[in-house]
Amino acid sequence: MANTVFIKPRHRVQVEPGAAVTLGQAAQIAAADGELVERLRAVPLYRVQPSDKTIVIIDMMQMVKAVLDVDESLDVQMVGPSQTIVEVVYEKRKVPFVVFLLVWLLLFVGSAMAIMNFHEDVSMQRVHRHLYEMITGQTVDKPLLLQIPYSLGLGIGMILFFNHWFRKRINEEPSPLEVEMFNYQQAIDQYVILHENKESMRHLDDA
Amino acid sequence: MTTLEILLVVFVGFAGGLAVGTGFVAFLVVLGVIPRLTQLTKTMKRIHAYEWGAVFGALVGGWVSLRHSVFHLSNYWLAPIGLLHGIFVGMLAAALTEVLNVWPILAKRIGVDERIVALLMAIAFGKVAGSLFHWLYFVDHFR
Repeated sequence: MANTVFIKPRHRVQVEPGAAVTLGQAAQIAAADGELVERLRAVPLYRVQPSDKTIVIIDMMQMVKAVLDVDESLDVQMVGPSQTIVEVVYEKRKVPFVVFLLVWLLLFVGSAMAIMNFHEDVSMQRVHRHLYEMITGQTVDKPLLLQIPYSLGLGIGMILFFNHWFRKRINEEPSPLEVEMFNYQQAIDQYVILHENKESMRHLDDA
Repeated sequence: MTTLEILLVVFVGFAGGLAVGTGFVAFLVVLGVIPRLTQLTKTMKRIHAYEWGAVFGALVGGWVSLRHSVFHLSNYWLAPIGLLHGIFVGMLAAALTEVLNVWPILAKRIGVDERIVALLMAIAFGKVAGSLFHWLYFVDHFR
């Protein structure tokens, strides 16, 4: 028991670009020997490279190996998450106020239109005519000045949601589409683990 | 109207508005359009301002659609409103197809993981084309 070291990887750690991530940064360490804990804290695990962009994952096996490199007689006990997410924080680029204003206006106008269409039972032609009359004071049959930008916006909104334009950014955040694909694969894997393994379930009439 | 009748009408109106408002918020939350916008623009800190944007929008929309206010402005104001309206609806539509889990199944079954962006574009352009066709031609000839 004297030689047991408990290690609990932290969930998410923020570091600066080019920093060396130590065991103490990536995980909580507990052991009976306080001096040993101090020594283990300083053990370097990984140096952040520019090619890592924003996210690095440090697996618990890397931590076990680092501890055993210090003293191979130690008994390493891992608890908690099995990896640490290291987030490299670059100097924050200021988001221009205009961008914020645009998003605010988008939500404002979008909500207003959604409620107006709801009130008219989604008779959009009538809502558009009504809006044209409201703003200009003139009555028109086909308010194309409103409807053509609306049509173009439909496509833009969809592409924006799936983030196809900003693909080249230095950012490893997945798009909703990628997350959805992942979830589906995850569900299928779960299914095959349970259904393709004959040992996973036992029925009454099994011998 | 007696006071009781007035109170009753006010109560019914308020209750109706409450139901619609909660439904609207639930709809926005389920589709996750606002988090997606903050993620795209990296403005997570302003999320409360966005909430108020949606709330005021719903309020103003409700007001002007029930009253018949006329502003007598230039008709070019309609183009940006139309564009924002379209983007909002497009995002809702995109979120819906995502929630319905159409994409992963489509990609797996037909085996087109590589060209899923092309499929996405097909739907986006289809929406634009269909909408333009509807407003420019359909409304005149098939009503």
